[in-house]
Amino acid sequence: MIDARELVDTKNSTQAKKIFGDQEVYEQELERIFGRCWLFLAHECMLEKTGDFITTTMAEDPVVVTRHKDGSINAFINSCSHRGNRVCTADSGNSKSFVCNYHGWVFGADGSLVDVPLAETCYHGDIDKSKLGLPKIRVESYRGFVFGCFDDDAPSLEEYLGDWGWYLDTFMVGAGEGMELIGPPMKSTLKCNWKVPAENFVGDAYHVGWTHAAALEVLGGELGMLAGNTAEIPYAQLGIQVTTRHGHGCGIIRQAASSIHVKRENYDKFNQETIPKVAEKLGEARAGLFDGHWNCTTFPSCSFLYGTNIFKVWHPRGPNEIEVWSYVLVHKGMDDATKKEVVKQAARSFGTAGTLESDDGDNMVNATSINQGTQARKNRMSSTMAHDYEGPHPEFPGIVGASFIGETSYRGFYRFYQEIMNAESWQAIHARDDEWDDMFENKDFWKNKIAGNK
Amino acid sequence: MHDIQPTDRVSLELHHAISQHAYTEARMLQNHQYKEWLEGFVAEDIHFWMPVIERRYRKDKRPAPGPDDMAIYSDDYSEVKQRVDRMYTGTVWMEDPASDIKYLLTNIEAFHTEQDDLFKVYTNVAYIRHRQQLERSEHIGAREDLLRKVGDKFQLVRRKIVLDARVTIDKNLYFFG
Repeated sequence: MIDARELVDTKNSTQAKKIFGDQEVYEQELERIFGRCWLFLAHECMLEKTGDFITTTMAEDPVVVTRHKDGSINAFINSCSHRGNRVCTADSGNSKSFVCNYHGWVFGADGSLVDVPLAETCYHGDIDKSKLGLPKIRVESYRGFVFGCFDDDAPSLEEYLGDWGWYLDTFMVGAGEGMELIGPPMKSTLKCNWKVPAENFVGDAYHVGWTHAAALEVLGGELGMLAGNTAEIPYAQLGIQVTTRHGHGCGIIRQAASSIHVKRENYDKFNQETIPKVAEKLGEARAGLFDGHWNCTTFPSCSFLYGTNIFKVWHPRGPNEIEVWSYVLVHKGMDDATKKEVVKQAARSFGTAGTLESDDGDNMVNATSINQGTQARKNRMSSTMAHDYEGPHPEFPGIVGASFIGETSYRGFYRFYQEIMNAESWQAIHARDDEWDDMFENKDFWKNKIAGNK
Repeated sequence: MHDIQPTDRVSLELHHAISQHAYTEARMLQNHQYKEWLEGFVAEDIHFWMPVIERRYRKDKRPAPGPDDMAIYSDDYSEVKQRVDRMYTGTVWMEDPASDIKYLLTNIEAFHTEQDDLFKVYTNVAYIRHRQQLERSEHIGAREDLLRKVGDKFQLVRRKIVLDARVTIDKNLYFFG
């Protein structure tokens, strides 16, 4: 077992370069992170009718997610209990049962084994179907977003999200009917470690002006001013960054929700009409964030850009490869034409051929491959930006950084990464609930800043 | 207009003109002459489309995706133009040094349609791209084009590209297919 304190130094905000390619680190992540955290599976709107199913993976384990006739959503490992073949080979569909192609075992939408060919004759009736169902996975939903977890000792999904749920509610509750997810997902591979895009989405607004300079220049708009980092704007005070107990976090630049979208008249109108409703339901603090642009990661590997509305899962495929699955978020309350425009614009920017997506690939892959060099991997990476400019905030839960450009949520992501990689169990993690944010030492940062501003 | 149906096969002479047009178009894109391509080869009412195709069971009767469904791109002229303009900003770091791409076009079938100036063209495509030192990717698929004859030239009015791979094995699909 690797001591994650060697991998992540929370005091100096550095990480060992080997976290991006080491096989042993990766195997520990599969057990301790992907084996114990809530992982995104689907949105309920993809499973409306009895028998609807989708297939996905939880880390490298293939999973089927189904809507059962009792209305429940079930998830089970997509591997026959007889000889291990895949029982469902389609991306999605509707089916009462799943028949294994190998020997014809039949499983119901709840994963139970319902039929075995030649059971009476060749098994001589000596087979207990009730014990041979597909291994079930814990499933819970948050505002329609369905997650699965392999660990019975993990907290509920709501507790796992914790303060992050407060932020998610801004658009999942504040906008009336909440949000849904449009697929089918675009899928592509990237030869990078899963944490590179996860950390990028959780807290890297720093790269936006440089990596995406070309796209921002032709897009113009509110974020166009960031192109090349040359504009005279108060970079250190643009929005906020947030990290929370279990590593989930985001960066938010205010009043920029639709800025990446070229055609956005209806979308802007929807946002402006919705802000007062958010204020009424959730208060002014969140109403003020509603039309912000958010870069987010729900720990460990589910990232999205609220505003641009691309929604990504980074499925690990070994220490140095991932599959990128890209969906689009839309508000349920939008009319169909607006939804369609949002889907199109999100894919245009951050889909597989996206004008911004197409800037990121080299950074992700190189950060992974270069860091595997024999000498390079002995070194460390830093995430120290504005480490004194963060702390508890009177209005916003979690630890809050002073600008959306900073590395507060990087630090929070790797803080929890270190914790869960070393923790024996969720009980050990719970035991530190009162001290998790000790590493963010400037407790009076916001108090002083707000007083100073007055 | 993606639904405009083919009627009779074109003559040998027209087939020659259409296939030569396709090769010229490919050569321009290979040579990074995106502006010239846009201005000379693309109609202002273009719809440039690469849908996302799921792997579904044969018994699944859901319709194939339409232009409003999830797509890798579904661009009109201004959106294609924006993709072109991005290439000229000087800050597309991933294309500097430039990648090299070849368009291998085969199985070209060209048909008349109910409208005299419109031709339906089916093409099998292989896009092979090399980047940096060791990177090589290939994308195999089929193209359905609608061409409009304008004078003695052709302009692209509809292009639907369907790639065979469900999972793209590449960093992106930012090229003009």
